[in-house]
Amino acid sequence: MADIGKVRLRVPSSIKPGDVVEVRSLVIHPMERVERDAQGKIVQRNYNYINKVIVTYLGKTVATFDTTQSVAENPFFSFTFKATDPGQLKVQFLDTTGGRYEGTADIKFA
Amino acid sequence: MEKQDGGHNVKHGTAVTDSHGLTRRTVLMSLAAFGVAVAGGLAAAPGTAHGQALGQNESVEEALKRLFGGKTIKDGSAAIKLDVPLIAENGAVVPVSVTVDSPMTPASWVKHIYVVADKNRIPVVTRVTLAPEAGRAFMGANIRLGESGDVRAIVEQSDGTLLQVKREVKVTVGGCGG
Repeated sequence: MADIGKVRLRVPSSIKPGDVVEVRSLVIHPMERVERDAQGKIVQRNYNYINKVIVTYLGKTVATFDTTQSVAENPFFSFTFKATDPGQLKVQFLDTTGGRYEGTADIKFA
Repeated sequence: MEKQDGGHNVKHGTAVTDSHGLTRRTVLMSLAAFGVAVAGGLAAAPGTAHGQALGQNESVEEALKRLFGGKTIKDGSAAIKLDVPLIAENGAVVPVSVTVDSPMTPASWVKHIYVVADKNRIPVVTRVTLAPEAGRAFMGANIRLGESGDVRAIVEQSDGTLLQVKREVKVTVGGCGG
């Protein structure tokens, strides 16, 4: 899993000002599951999973996902934002081990 | 940090004594009380932080009670569109998307969308916090499902109204078609 933290963002190719744009994002991450011992008790340790996803557009937070271990491996999230001005869309993924992965997309109007 | 605080407060304390006529004793005593409170707060912090983690090993009823504190949740099938497959061949990756009919203006918008999987050991899957700038109340994610059961989407609007819809998903774990 050398690719941990690789972020892919997919934004529609042509955006008009004022459009509500749907963005799809994916991050390569193991999203470790809770492990249990033979008695079914949870093994206590710091599981490595993403617990926060922050989407910012033009420096303003548009959406925040607080996630748990019930989210699939290599998590995929989609969301919308209203494209008002050209600028940067940034998606940050934070995991429980302090990892911080981010992907950016430049929003331009055709 | 504590030491620094102490030094600062003591200095401040003498100033107070001069101008407001407080005795040195009262100042010191209040400082001591403050110190105890801070220490207590620090000791309790890890416990509460853990207690408020979103994903916990609990039943759905407990999870809903913890998140919404017994507020009534209305049926939102008119406003919420929950998109999940009827049959998920692989419980490890189940695409879910939620669209809510909302104007998304600063006066009325969808504040949170929760996705809850009833049969999961950690039922709360995600909590999405939206801003009016999102333009549309929409979220999509790939989630895990431990076994067949209801998946619900709970929406909290900016005025505090709670709406929910649920759909049953059948999970074929390790089926031959997989």
